[in-house]
Amino acid sequence: MGLKEILEHHIVDHIWSWVNLGPLRLPISKHLLMMGIASVILVLGLPLLIRSRSRALAPFRAMIEIIVLFLRDEVVVPNLGHKGAAYMGYFSSLFFFILTLNLLGLVPYGATATGNLAVTAGLALTTFALVNFAGIREQGIFGYFGHIVPKGVPGWLYPLLFPIELIGLVTKTFALCIRLFANMIAGHIVILAFISFIFIFGSLSAIVGFGVAPISVGLVLFTLMLELFVAFLQAYVFVFLTAIFTGAAMHPH
Amino acid sequence: MEALIRPEIGLMFWTITCFALLVLLLAKTAWKPLLQAVDERERALKHDRHSAETARAEAEKARAELDAKLAGLKTEIGRRMEEARVSAEKEKDVIIEEARKSAGMIVESAKREIDSQKIEAVREIRDKVAELSIMVAERILINKLDHKANTDLSSRYLAEIEKDRPELKLEN
Repeated sequence: MGLKEILEHHIVDHIWSWVNLGPLRLPISKHLLMMGIASVILVLGLPLLIRSRSRALAPFRAMIEIIVLFLRDEVVVPNLGHKGAAYMGYFSSLFFFILTLNLLGLVPYGATATGNLAVTAGLALTTFALVNFAGIREQGIFGYFGHIVPKGVPGWLYPLLFPIELIGLVTKTFALCIRLFANMIAGHIVILAFISFIFIFGSLSAIVGFGVAPISVGLVLFTLMLELFVAFLQAYVFVFLTAIFTGAAMHPH
Repeated sequence: MEALIRPEIGLMFWTITCFALLVLLLAKTAWKPLLQAVDERERALKHDRHSAETARAEAEKARAELDAKLAGLKTEIGRRMEEARVSAEKEKDVIIEEARKSAGMIVESAKREIDSQKIEAVREIRDKVAELSIMVAERILINKLDHKANTDLSSRYLAEIEKDRPELKLEN
């Protein structure tokens, strides 16, 4: 079995069956299961945690509260202004959904749904929809597209800049999608490569293989810690960039 | 490996559906109560801080009032003390003056008493001295009385008197 198969087995989605819904052909896959697990955890766990008055759960409640308040005071309100409080539900859900999916990818037998281009593209599309929705809602449809080109640009540049800015809207979304996807699979590929070293050296000689194993395991542990950090970081980055794009669409300056 | 970079449209649909439902559900069940609780707490904190600030301002005002009152009391006390000191001084002067006066009176009466006693004593002494001298003279005279000499003397004196005053001569 080559590295290619191992990589595909661990990183690429496993589609178990298909459901036909009108023109759409919908897969039932491992990543969908992971999204389902994450959704169940969030939908059942968060309200229970937030509404509970139990002392034992207080630290977890405080953690969630700290994260939400951080998102509100450092991410959403500075970018979106005070009207941004209305979008808090979206940003908090986005952060916790991405974070839960990222963390589920680190659980044994789990899979990283955010390491799937379709999933990140779906999330990026919702961001794209939110950016345009918020911009049109704030400035009106003509105001929004009128302000899409920055102020102070000479008139004759408008025909050139307007398409560029329109493409910019799409590329921002595309970058979001690729960033999350690449960050999530990168760690997994590195871990798989480190573990493969053991077998590559083991095929030379069993002794060398056993010699390399502790080094490889140490590096894998280190990479796992890094992945744990990246899970939080990328969830934050995705939310932060979404907030910046939404803010820019709402207040064109 | 091309499966890795070929987005599955169906899964994208699942993702969007799943995430949209999650946003709708969590916004109602989780974030709304959480943010409400946080807002309530922040409002309570603000209210507490505000009331604490007003309480502090009031306390400061009360302290300033007390300080002013205390300063007033101090000056009042100083004034009263000064008054008391002045009146005590006056009283002292009066008492000393009176004492001096009464002492003068006592001395005066004592002097007078002494004078009268002295006069009395002197008179008594004089009387006694006179009596004593008379008595002593009597004794002396009694001692010196010599019948013959006295007869002679008296004869002589009579002759002298007769010579001076002949009309008184008995033998006429």
